Amino acid sequence: MIGVPWAKESKQYAVLRSNALNFAASELAPMADDLENTVDSPLFWKAVEKAGEMGMLAALVPEQLGGEGVDLYSLCVALEESAVECAGFAAALLFHNAALVPLVYSDRKDLVEEFTGGKPLCTVATAGELALEEGRVRGSAPFVFNVLEGTVALLFAAAGDGRTAAYVKMGTEGVETRVDPYPLGWRVSNFATLEMKDARPVFVLDKSGKEALAATERTLYLGLAAIANGIVRKAFQKAYDYARQRYQAGKIIIEHQAMRLMLARMLCAMEEGRAVIRRACGSEELGPAIIAWRRAGANACQAAMDGVQIHGGYGYMRDYGMERLMRDAKYCQMFPRPEEEQLLRLLDMAESGS
Amino acid sequence: MLGQELSETGKRLFRDFPILRMLWESGRKKGLRETIALIEKAEEFNRTFAVPRALELDMRMEREPEYFDWDIMREACKYRFLSIFIPKQLGGIAGEFMVTNTSLLMDELCSGCSGIALAVGAHSLGVAPVITSGAMAHWDTVLKEIVEGELKRQPVTMAYAITEPSAGTDVEEPEYLERAKLSLEAKKVKGGYVLNGRKCFISDGSEAKYFTVCAALDRNRPLQTWTTFLVERDMEGFSTPRVELKMGQRASHAAELLFEDVFVPDSHVLGYEGDGMGNGILMIMAASRGPVGSIATGIARGALQHFLSWAKTKRNGKRPIDEDRIRMNLADMWGMIQENRGLYMSNAMLGDAIFGKALDNPVMNLTLSLPSSLRTMPLMRNFLNSYYGKAMINAVLRFYIKDEDMTQLLETASLAKFSCADNAMELCSRALSIMGPEDSEERRWVEKCYRDAKLTQIYEGTNQLNRMVVNNIRFEETLRVEVPRPFKKGVMA
Ligand SMILES: Cc1cc2nc3c(=O)[nH]c(=O)nc-3n(C[C@H](O)[C@H](O)[C@H](O)COP(=O)(O)OP(=O)(O)OC[C@H]3O[C@@H](n4cnc5c(N)ncnc54)[C@H](O)[C@@H]3O)c2cc1C
Repeated sequence: MIGVPWAKESKQYAVLRSNALNFAASELAPMADDLENTVDSPLFWKAVEKAGEMGMLAALVPEQLGGEGVDLYSLCVALEESAVECAGFAAALLFHNAALVPLVYSDRKDLVEEFTGGKPLCTVATAGELALEEGRVRGSAPFVFNVLEGTVALLFAAAGDGRTAAYVKMGTEGVETRVDPYPLGWRVSNFATLEMKDARPVFVLDKSGKEALAATERTLYLGLAAIANGIVRKAFQKAYDYARQRYQAGKIIIEHQAMRLMLARMLCAMEEGRAVIRRACGSEELGPAIIAWRRAGANACQAAMDGVQIHGGYGYMRDYGMERLMRDAKYCQMFPRPEEEQLLRLLDMAESGS
Repeated sequence: MLGQELSETGKRLFRDFPILRMLWESGRKKGLRETIALIEKAEEFNRTFAVPRALELDMRMEREPEYFDWDIMREACKYRFLSIFIPKQLGGIAGEFMVTNTSLLMDELCSGCSGIALAVGAHSLGVAPVITSGAMAHWDTVLKEIVEGELKRQPVTMAYAITEPSAGTDVEEPEYLERAKLSLEAKKVKGGYVLNGRKCFISDGSEAKYFTVCAALDRNRPLQTWTTFLVERDMEGFSTPRVELKMGQRASHAAELLFEDVFVPDSHVLGYEGDGMGNGILMIMAASRGPVGSIATGIARGALQHFLSWAKTKRNGKRPIDEDRIRMNLADMWGMIQENRGLYMSNAMLGDAIFGKALDNPVMNLTLSLPSSLRTMPLMRNFLNSYYGKAMINAVLRFYIKDEDMTQLLETASLAKFSCADNAMELCSRALSIMGPEDSEERRWVEKCYRDAKLTQIYEGTNQLNRMVVNNIRFEETLRVEVPRPFKKGVMA
């Protein structure tokens, strides 16, 4: 396959990338399409176990707290490679890792241990309206993944005049879930809306809540950008291969300029995605992460849509593995917050110098 | 004054399509009343039938792709949607505004559920070649059976099969067909043809009783020998072994057709041998790509309705529509829809201007006013199916329909098709991005529209092919549709 042609990375990342790609090829590829309809399959948990062995389950948590202590770009590399085979699985990994970020701001090694046991994965609830008052959480949060009995969810909860990080556990009193059996994308992981009815959190970050949530958000945006980039790569790879073997209108279709342009755009998107992610990882700010997410998400949607188009009617059918990319890509763009809202926020951030 | 005469639906149509109002004011009230009545039926169909089951059915079809909800066809019978292309003289409902009505109907039905609408619409695509080829010998049998079935609510349906596993774009354009790698071949034998090979992705393929199928008589000379056949499901050797799991428009099936030594009698050739592309596919595409534009528009309109309802719903004390950016987006979306409608209506109205004369003229009216028993007499049937019978029909067609007309119709159809499809895709995509992570029924609907819309960029010729068609007709003049010629030479000579 043609790779990202120009982006050069240091050896450390290149090794990680190749390990993660092998992991994706051996653990995720064989089940990516099966998993579409089997939310809680043993294959999924086997892949989680392997991800754990590779240090992908508490990647960002420092070693002294029992984590792997890798940098954000490394996590992005692992997520991008995983997403090449299965964006839904990569998203599940991302939410788990993002959920642990606030613990970095605590000294709760015990919680890190408790939350990273492997099954179930943790998750984050960023959307919706949740409020923490007098030690109880109220409100609802849509678009929460990895939702199973026992899942610990990090909530972005309004508290006082700001927000803080609060963790609740599925299945405890006041935590209700409404599973959506039919989301557009990321079908591998259970997808639900959480309803908090005076739920008692298992842990609330007293200090540094705001900072912790900003770091979590940054992880989410960059991780999603990386997943989106993985989708672009898969779309390119599949479309390129297909275009070289499909004959139509007197040529193999890769010889039609309309097809070549689409493929070339995907190539730009891959390079662009890598570049914005790398750059944003080098900054501690949230802004560049949001910018990377916007770019990579839009690119993934376009690439997947073009990939389907290059496959013609076959692209539209489940059996050919293209349409899943189109559905998964859209969620990279729709989550964790609506795009225009984040655009406006970017300008606000720039104006206030934050 | 308008107000008193018009139903709410009529008023909405006139508001959305000022051109209809213009027609009304200039005296085309009779035809327009039929149009309005048809759209009222479509609204009722959506309200009482399609919308309440669309999401559930869509989900079910993902788990059980082989399932088909026959209630769709039975319900379509109730509203007579299965005979929108069948002339009134034959008991159908096609009248003065046949193409316009079809386009408006698809727009309306697809705003409810485009999967259900496709199940209904693909049938008419199958019917179309029986009409446009002037195959009168089958009008009193096949078309009559469809009409009678419809009246009894026992649906008899058709499908149109041109795509083959290795030839999709290739069967939509003469220049490409010439070099196509075909699977299906029809070998001439005594009294008919023997068909072997496959067709794929055929909408309604696993339900239809009759199929209009294009096949080459000689795979090495596909363009010259491309011929349209009427195939019946119970012909020996015919089967539909596979249905696909589609991303969207799921309520209808895309099926594979398998031909294993299927004998098709001479009487079942529609038009002349070798007329399958020029007179067959291109004429059908000229009439059907516009309605695909309206399918895309309907999907977009459905998405807009759900988006609007989301925008007007309070969440935590605020309504999205209270923000200017949402208002601006709504206006943009409406703009896309109206732009689409301008394009597909140009095509539809041109279609009616052309076909109107061909279906409603002294020769046709005389022929159709004969008792059907006369037309079905063996002698008459044999004549209509004969070389000279076809020559007569083609002479009439050519008298009323000119090559330039059909070529212009194809151009407007292709333009509407790709523009509407692209707009629909953009609209649905934008609506989802703006809604973001929402737990709402509206988001689920728009997600469905997003999946559904993608198909409109693919079928009836991909958007790339349709762009080429527009270029080839408008700017390079290398593509021209030929209306059937009488006294055509045999192609196998
Ligand atoms: C759900 C569904 C329902 C359908 N229903 C029917 C039906 O009822 N009856 C029927 O006969 N068919 C039906 N089709 C088939 C449909 O019309 C074809 O899928 C379509 O024409 C494209 O053909 P293809 O899939 O073979 O793609 P291909 O022709 O293989 O095209 C692959 C890619 O190559 C591109 N390409 C090809 N040639 C050129 C060129 N010259 N320049 C630039 N790009 C080019 C195409 O745009 C496309 O992106 C259906 C398809 C689907 C998906």
